[in-house]
This record gives sequence, structure tokens and C-alpha cells, in this order.
Amino acid sequence: MTRFRTLVQILVALGTNAYLLFPFGSVIYQGPLKAVCHPGLNCYSCPGALLSCPVGAVQNFMASLRFTMPGTWPHLGTLVVGYLGFIGTLVGRLPCGWLCPFGFIQDLLYKIPSPKFSLWKPLRYVKYAVLVVLVLVLPVWLVDASGLGHPWFCKLLCPAGTLEGALPLLLLKPSLWATVGFYFWNKLAILIIIVVLAILISRPFCRILCPLGAFYSLFTRMTLVQLEFIEGNCVDCGSCVRKCPTGVKPQEEFDSRECIMCLKCLDACQFRALSFGVRRLNHKPAKRVTSPL
Amino acid sequence: MPKRALWLIIIFTLLFILGINTGDLEYLLNLGNTICLSCIGVG
Repeated sequence: MTRFRTLVQILVALGTNAYLLFPFGSVIYQGPLKAVCHPGLNCYSCPGALLSCPVGAVQNFMASLRFTMPGTWPHLGTLVVGYLGFIGTLVGRLPCGWLCPFGFIQDLLYKIPSPKFSLWKPLRYVKYAVLVVLVLVLPVWLVDASGLGHPWFCKLLCPAGTLEGALPLLLLKPSLWATVGFYFWNKLAILIIIVVLAILISRPFCRILCPLGAFYSLFTRMTLVQLEFIEGNCVDCGSCVRKCPTGVKPQEEFDSRECIMCLKCLDACQFRALSFGVRRLNHKPAKRVTSPL
Repeated sequence: MPKRALWLIIIFTLLFILGINTGDLEYLLNLGNTICLSCIGVG
């Protein structure tokens, strides 16, 4: 399963960033596919990107709310919210584990041999603050003289934008160097910190800062598909916990909002204590309060 | 299928359709076709 997931990650990352004409024609892809959002975090200013970034799209919809001309219908961004909510309800955070190019990059970085550390758990709540403050509130609240807001997550934080968008574009269009300022250097510093952290800690950006993961995680306890914990089969060997990239303990935190459904735990379990399938109606998940782990 | 999931799927599908009919698709297309200066860090 792990190899199959890696293959899917490679195919999705390459397939959704397959525009190869940027050295010759337009520096970014400008075709009809840009009307579709990527299910993961993938900067739409990446020279190869074929799809739009859902987080960037939501922020821009929010930023334009107060700019609406009198007599025109405001763009509420219900298209993107409906799209992301539909995916979230079906599969929860599965796109984080299988489809997100930036998640894949972090998976690769974590393979670099180094001392490994676990994440301080309260940090996982920061991503909800990022979603509310930088993606939803500030783009509407902080507007310029014309009434237009800014995508503050892209502007202040997004390391995917720096890695996939800013750095390649600055290489391709050196004239852009004249315009970069504080925001670029701030984001470059954040990218470097995230890259170093990703070598030491599994998926730090997904677990601490990603607003898309935060949104998908709102649905993890009602998704159509789920991981099921079969308590009677569990021998508390802890192999699932050791393999989990987001530090979930299936026997304690069943239906955890941190689970990205990578299914590594399913591979690791020799005793068939975990299964993956469609959630049953009125099924109450098993839950333990204590564990010898 | 859990009832809550079914209701959510219906609600999000309706939101998606509403977005298509209020011009979100064109807005998204225009957005994606321009270089995001915020992503680059211009400002």
C-alpha cells in the first residue's frame, strides 16, 4: 500500500504540474483547467501548475467580497467551498495523504536520515487559527482604499507558494527581483524553517499550519469512508503508532482529526486490528481511555 | 451511508451548483490565469 500511495503521489504531483511550455510561451499555464481547484495545496503560480489552488481561491473570493460593484452579485466562493466540502465529506483528509504535492515533498524530506522528533501536540490547533484568521477573516477585514482585500495566507505564510511559485518564477523572470520585498524574504525564511523541520518531524506543515488540512479535518468524524479499529484483534504492539506520519494512536484517538488516511497503519498491523472501508450507519467507533503504550 | 454525510453531500453539491451559476467559475479562471503576486511575496 505504501508503494502504491507513493506512486499515486508522484503521478498526481507530476500530472497536475504538467505544463512544460513555460520556458517558451506564457510563464504560467492559462488554459481552461485553471477553473478547477487542486484537492491539495498546490500553488497556481507554479509555472507547471494546471489547476488552481483551493486556499488561494477561497482567499481571493473573500478578498473581493467588499469590492463588489453595486447591482452585481458578489462572488461568495461557494463553488470552492462546495467542492472542498464534498471531498471532505467523502474522504476527509485523504487528499492530504495521497494527493497533496506539498505533503509529498514533506514525505520525501522526512526520508533524509537524521534524528527524528515527535510534535508537541497542542501545536496541531494552530492550523485552525490559520484557517480562520489568515484565510477567512483578514482577507475580508483588511481592505485597501479601493475595498479590495489580500490573500494573507499566501502573502505571509504559504511555503508551497514560495517553493512552487515564487522561486521558479524569479528564476524564469529575473525582472521580478526588483519587486520583491519583506513578504518574500519572510516567506523564504518560513520555507527554510519548514524544510528543516520536515527533515526532523513528520509532516510539520500539514500538522501545524495547513488551513486546507484544517478544513478537511472538520469532516473526519462523518466521512463516508473510515478506518475502523477492531479492539478485539489489537495486541497493543504499537507498530501502527510508530508508522503513523501524523502521530495518531488509533487505539486511543479513533477518528482522529489528524489522520490523513495514508493507511500506513493498515500495512503495519499484523493482527488485522484495523480495516478501511465505508462507514456503517449508526456505527460507534471503539475507544480506549488508557493504553500500555 | 451515514445520514449526516448524506446531508452534507447534498448541501455541498448545492453550494457547488450555486457557485457555477453565480459566475464563480469565470472568476476562478481569471484568477488562475494571472500570476499571484502575493504568492511571490511582492509588496
